[in-house]
Amino acid sequence: MQSTADKGFIRRLGQLLNPLLVPFLAIVTAVILGGIIIKVVGGDPIAAYKGLVQGAFGSPSALSETAVWSTPYIFAGLAVALGFKGGLFNIGAEGQIAFGAVAAALIGYALPGWLHTSIPPYIHIPLAVGAGILAGAIWGGIPGALKAYTGGHEVINTIMMNYIALNITSYLLNGPMRDPNPLNLSARTPEIAVSARIPPIFDIPGMRVHWGFVLALLMAVVVWWLLWKTTLGFEIRTVGANPDAAKYAGINVKWIITLTMALSGALAGLAGAIEVTALNYRHELGFSTGYGFDAIAIALLGKNNPYGIILAAILFGAMRNGATRMQFLTQIPIDIISVIQALILLFVAADAIIRFIYRIRAREERVVLTRGWGG
Amino acid sequence: MDWRRFAIIALIIVVMFGTVVLIGTSQNSPLVIITSMMATTIAVATPLTLGALSGIYCERAGVVNIGIEGMMLGAAFFGWLAAIYMNTIFHYPAMPSLIVGVIAAIITGGLFALLHAVLSITFKVDQIIGGTVINILAAGITGFLNRQLFFGAGSVFHGQIPNAPGVLPTIHIPLLADIPTVGRIFEQQPIAISAILLVIITHFVLFRTRWGLRTRAVGEHPRAADTVGINVIRMRYMNVIIGGFLAGLGGAYFTLEAISSFEANMTNGRGFIALAAMIFGNWTPFGAWTAALVFGAAQALQINLQFFRELIPPQLAVLQNSYVVGLAPYLLTMLILTGIIGKTIPPAADGKVYEK
Amino acid sequence: MKKLYSLMAVVLLASMLLSACGATTPTPAATQAPAPATQAPAATSAPATQPAATQASSGTAPDCTQANVFCVGDVTDVGHVDDKSFNQSTWEGVQKAKTDGVVDWAQYIETSDSKDYAKNIDTFAQAGYKVIVTTGFNLTDPTYAAAKQYPNIMFIGVDQGLQKDANHPDWPLPNLVGLVYHEDQSGFLVGALAAMISKSHKVGGVFGTDAVPAVWRYGEGYAAGAAYEDKKNGTTTTVTRVYHNDVGFDKTFTDPDWGATTAQSMIDKGADIIFGGGGITGNGAVDKAAADKVLAIGVDTDQYYTLPEADPYLLTSAMKPIPGPLEDLIKLAKSNKFPTNGLYYGASGYAPYHDTANLVPANVDAEMQALLKGLTDGSIQTGVSAAKPAQ
Repeated sequence: MQSTADKGFIRRLGQLLNPLLVPFLAIVTAVILGGIIIKVVGGDPIAAYKGLVQGAFGSPSALSETAVWSTPYIFAGLAVALGFKGGLFNIGAEGQIAFGAVAAALIGYALPGWLHTSIPPYIHIPLAVGAGILAGAIWGGIPGALKAYTGGHEVINTIMMNYIALNITSYLLNGPMRDPNPLNLSARTPEIAVSARIPPIFDIPGMRVHWGFVLALLMAVVVWWLLWKTTLGFEIRTVGANPDAAKYAGINVKWIITLTMALSGALAGLAGAIEVTALNYRHELGFSTGYGFDAIAIALLGKNNPYGIILAAILFGAMRNGATRMQFLTQIPIDIISVIQALILLFVAADAIIRFIYRIRAREERVVLTRGWGG
Repeated sequence: MDWRRFAIIALIIVVMFGTVVLIGTSQNSPLVIITSMMATTIAVATPLTLGALSGIYCERAGVVNIGIEGMMLGAAFFGWLAAIYMNTIFHYPAMPSLIVGVIAAIITGGLFALLHAVLSITFKVDQIIGGTVINILAAGITGFLNRQLFFGAGSVFHGQIPNAPGVLPTIHIPLLADIPTVGRIFEQQPIAISAILLVIITHFVLFRTRWGLRTRAVGEHPRAADTVGINVIRMRYMNVIIGGFLAGLGGAYFTLEAISSFEANMTNGRGFIALAAMIFGNWTPFGAWTAALVFGAAQALQINLQFFRELIPPQLAVLQNSYVVGLAPYLLTMLILTGIIGKTIPPAADGKVYEK
Repeated sequence: MKKLYSLMAVVLLASMLLSACGATTPTPAATQAPAPATQAPAATSAPATQPAATQASSGTAPDCTQANVFCVGDVTDVGHVDDKSFNQSTWEGVQKAKTDGVVDWAQYIETSDSKDYAKNIDTFAQAGYKVIVTTGFNLTDPTYAAAKQYPNIMFIGVDQGLQKDANHPDWPLPNLVGLVYHEDQSGFLVGALAAMISKSHKVGGVFGTDAVPAVWRYGEGYAAGAAYEDKKNGTTTTVTRVYHNDVGFDKTFTDPDWGATTAQSMIDKGADIIFGGGGITGNGAVDKAAADKVLAIGVDTDQYYTLPEADPYLLTSAMKPIPGPLEDLIKLAKSNKFPTNGLYYGASGYAPYHDTANLVPANVDAEMQALLKGLTDGSIQTGVSAAKPAQ
């Protein structure tokens, strides 16, 4: 009795872990290749990886920073994955994040002035974050609607919308929304009101991890529930899998396409809003960190599964966070992280390479994420 | 061909040029302004044209390629590296070094394209993901190697800035370049000239040769092509690699023709604009070229509006705002994608994996 | 067949990576060239041509927490330490202090996202570094906060001009100094020179985004300097300035192709002197001008040493030398004579004419020296505000 139960458990565990096998081996292979590259250029891969792990997980504050880094990655990864599920490639998360951040900052610093009154946090925070979500949804929804009703491909349109968002944000932060403090020389908004700030989880100096991280984890559950437990989710997945079939099944394909892109944009906008309300307390015209492209990699690594995305986002967040310590200890350029991430993505996308190296039989059907320009 | 599209594009360019001529006329003669704007337009359009042609070869054969950005960046780096090695380490004169650099850039583009072909044709990876892999990989490798090779005393050049062999020389097109003022347009560097020649060649290849017919067949109806004996896989491989060569030449423009140094991420998204130009131009070489010219003209507009900033009349003050003017090409692209000047129609099998 | 393809892909990938990396093999640690025997004067020294001691060849880190081990850390702004711009100049200053024996150990951390500023400063602070240099005005607030948190560590903020205000109530702090420059004065000087040298009386300037105050000051100073000489000599010089605003912050200083195109456009319209002011974007303009045999003016350091291909046409550079003053500050920190008034002004100036000296008549050179003197003692004002007024 006991042993058969064990076997059943192990088999179920195996089934549970099996989808993780290829991504895991992809990471291992990429890390080994990255180590070879470090070695070839005269670095010490062991020391480098030790620094990386130490910087990412070596202390409570390191863990906290990893969570801080992972938060926007989870939101943005979910955004891209939701699009993929609906057969849409949202390459414009970057612009949606920027717009979400601008909107949240505006409501965060200006609303009390407009209303001539202070606002309690339980109203102000949702309003600021909500504004970010809405801005992202609009910025994602426009290319969605263009795709649905005119056939303009969302890849080109979201790229164009990224540039447009960039210009508008620059304009706003240098003009109407610029911090009016005469001593301010930067292109940035004023600080948001205290009532619009999401607090950190621990009241310890140096521990910046905030409730936005918890919200990100919750959001993964919400996206999972939406996709697999609701009619809307079913419709999104059906449109993504086969729009023609969806049409015959009576689904309003055009509306679903628009809505999917809007929801995807909303998640990206949420990433920007949380960065402003929980971390930076203002939006600053900064160097783009490429969240948009990292998010694509995260969605792929997580196999478009919300829980997989949490793991992938934490991995990417940990790598970006730990890179500082790696460089501090070994002076290896941070760019090596990008190389390793590209290799991970390569091996995840072309899992045939991994299956070949490790002799794993192909089991699942290949997932088609996007279609050509036309459809 | 699609004359309405060309008419509208020509109109857009005329409006852009005309605006600047009207504003700047008190400082420079119209001929000088138009000449200078055309020179800018051609320079900006060069990498965009080559990138778009690269996309046309791939996509006419049915393979979506959003990795043009990465191919150009990688080619810009390795082409430049080869030229510097030839010049500084092996002491070849500037000109042969530059030629080796261009060849290295073209080969680099081809190798990245081969990777894309292996991923998307053989492994049947989603083609957009293959392109994304190339973009991220190229950015990481070039940034990493640029640092390892050139920075710090332990590097190959001991932290010194190597003397780059300069840039490709300007070619004076006989007679035309001798015309006063306007002749400036006909003083161009080799990659800019070859970009225009390649537009004509690509048009001829695609629409007047057996190869082109087969390529289009593979991109439109791979199954039908297969039944009449065309090797679909081989055609796709060849066209993707040819596309890579063109993207590689486009990359060479950045480090061997425009200026003589490499900087991390120096392609700055131009590969994506090239992609937009390809779609804008409806997957035709001349269409893509005119689209690239629109992007070039928009850049010329922006530079010149700042140039003549003090002369802009107050009722047009909005033109002084470079952020607002900067929106123009992107909005225009989106507008065109909505089908306002005729629908863009991609090859039918574009982006679709071919299963035998 | 399938396996063959997979193998091919792996081999292809590996060979692409390794062949590229193989190039670095001739890098023995012992090849560090000896420092040049003749040291150029500080203002005209050529940082980039001096082999900077690199991390790899300088052994392992000592224990910086020991009181007698003097360690200096450098936190860059978002970007790279080899950016041929302020991040690189700052690191060269720190390296110079190490080469000169002022510092026992120097290390940098490159910031990859603005949210890491505080964490990166903290990494050095925790490791017992005695001086932490932060680069760029974006780090102003994180540096101020860290200086309050770690009163025993000296902080140097390059380009960080602080004042006492609501957000910085305790300024000046005894352990925080902002190393700042009058970029408008440097711009003024080269603008004046351009106006005096130009034959077509059309000169151009190609800049990064004017949202960065230092860039704005260079550009407006350039115009002010030209206007000053115009008034004096009765000439009319058209000064065109084009700022690279439309591409987002991360590309505005790293777009040499745009710089070259813009410079070309100015030359086509008759400009005969081009000022390239703004990191690598500006370098593109200087390179292009030189390739077209048009005089160029560099920025920040004496670019005679950083853009060798432009040398024959490089008139001068608007100087804002970071390494010298930075080393001075590190020395002061070491000898407990750190300035307590919160700000340390690096000298503004212009670089020697080098190869183009024969184009500068004696009276022009005398005027330039008079201008430098006047700007330094305050008898000449540029009239340029600290930053671009909000639109």
